[in-house]
Amino acid sequence: MKIVLDRPRCEGHGLCEEAAPQLMHLDDDGELVLDREEVDEADAALANAAVRVCPVAALRIA
Amino acid sequence: MRPSHFTEGMTTPPTSDVDLFADEVVLDPYPVYAELREQGPVVHLRKNDVYALTRYAVIRDALPDWESFSSTSIAFNPMANEALTGTSLASDPPVHTQLRATLTENLSPRALRGLKGRIEAKADVLVAELVEKGSFEAISALARAFPLEVVADLIGFTGHVRDNMLRWGQAAMQVIGPMNQRTAESFPIAGELYEWCSQVKASDLAEGSVGRGIFDAEARGAIPPDTAGHIIHQYLGAGVDTTVAAIGNIVALFASHPDQLDLIRENPSLVPGAFNEVLRFWPPVNAWGRRATKDVDIDGTVIPAGAQIAVLLGAGNRDPRHYENPDAFLVERNPVDHLSFGYGPHGCAGQGLARLEAHAVIEALSRRVKRLVVGLEVRVPSNITRSIEELPILEVIPA
Repeated sequence: MKIVLDRPRCEGHGLCEEAAPQLMHLDDDGELVLDREEVDEADAALANAAVRVCPVAALRIA
Repeated sequence: MRPSHFTEGMTTPPTSDVDLFADEVVLDPYPVYAELREQGPVVHLRKNDVYALTRYAVIRDALPDWESFSSTSIAFNPMANEALTGTSLASDPPVHTQLRATLTENLSPRALRGLKGRIEAKADVLVAELVEKGSFEAISALARAFPLEVVADLIGFTGHVRDNMLRWGQAAMQVIGPMNQRTAESFPIAGELYEWCSQVKASDLAEGSVGRGIFDAEARGAIPPDTAGHIIHQYLGAGVDTTVAAIGNIVALFASHPDQLDLIRENPSLVPGAFNEVLRFWPPVNAWGRRATKDVDIDGTVIPAGAQIAVLLGAGNRDPRHYENPDAFLVERNPVDHLSFGYGPHGCAGQGLARLEAHAVIEALSRRVKRLVVGLEVRVPSNITRSIEELPILEVIPA
């Protein structure tokens, strides 16, 4: 599975980073960086949690 | 949402004679919400001529689904919807996308990062003074005083604007309701806010403020011409009354649930989760509008094209199908997916600022206060924002 970021929609609320710090982080400019886009079964729950918590629905799983 | 095809077995939604905007319902909507949720995920309210979305799942699906549910009717009267035309609040993609980007350019968490320390310091000074005083009226002294100070600092205004901001902010939310007496009385006051925002100039706002920054962005062409005043209007119209409500609710819920305050005092990492729970338990905004763009099938019942929708955020937040023991206030629950900021492209644009303010207040309270002894809270009926009008703190037991 793959995490897909709708970059223009992301406003940097950072809730995804709190849910899944292993997979993504906000950089020094407050821009979201996906550290791992391809995730395996073991991290599926984390990825789904990050997608679910995004308040503007800027993340999805493909 | 699936586009509907009127097939065998599809039915019209159940109906109810509940008046969503009756005084007793806006004062305490939760018994009515429970009744409507049991009737079905969508209920036609005959008195309001709206289709109410009542359960968590249907609301969470509907909020980002602009193709089925348009934001061109977020208000419950045509005059307000007309007045909001052309704002990001009341538009749909693709037009919405650019308007939203312009609105959030100076309001997103990355734009606000520099304010965090100042906001925390302000909250701490204010709470320290109140603890020292020992008794005070929490709505005027904290729930109103703090966001007004933050927003005045943010936009960079002073003087008569500051004196008027509370009533302007209240009126801006009130007029989202149906055309009842509250709405009719509030339109002229909401108009004063609109008028001020239409004529405000960069030089009226303090240097270095976010408000001044919006004018600078307009001057260098980063946002379209003549949009700065409209953006400031949205900040003030949407951001004052709601934040006041949330902070009043924090104080009231901590006072009535000392065991929950204790949990935060013992574990400050609960602060963000505690704010999520305050918002879930008592959302500042309980009902918000949409319009069905086509016949929409919800679990086998049909909302007809063109129908006015009432998204009952407060009902979804108490849905036992989604939250266990939903009528309990539990700060360890951390309901990150609560509905009180909406969700998706139209999710509250000011939620980053709201979190900064609320977290600062919760941190200060949990650090300085052991118990709050309160008198009787006073509530006044209101169309959209549900907030406490007066909350006497009789005694503070300091930490």
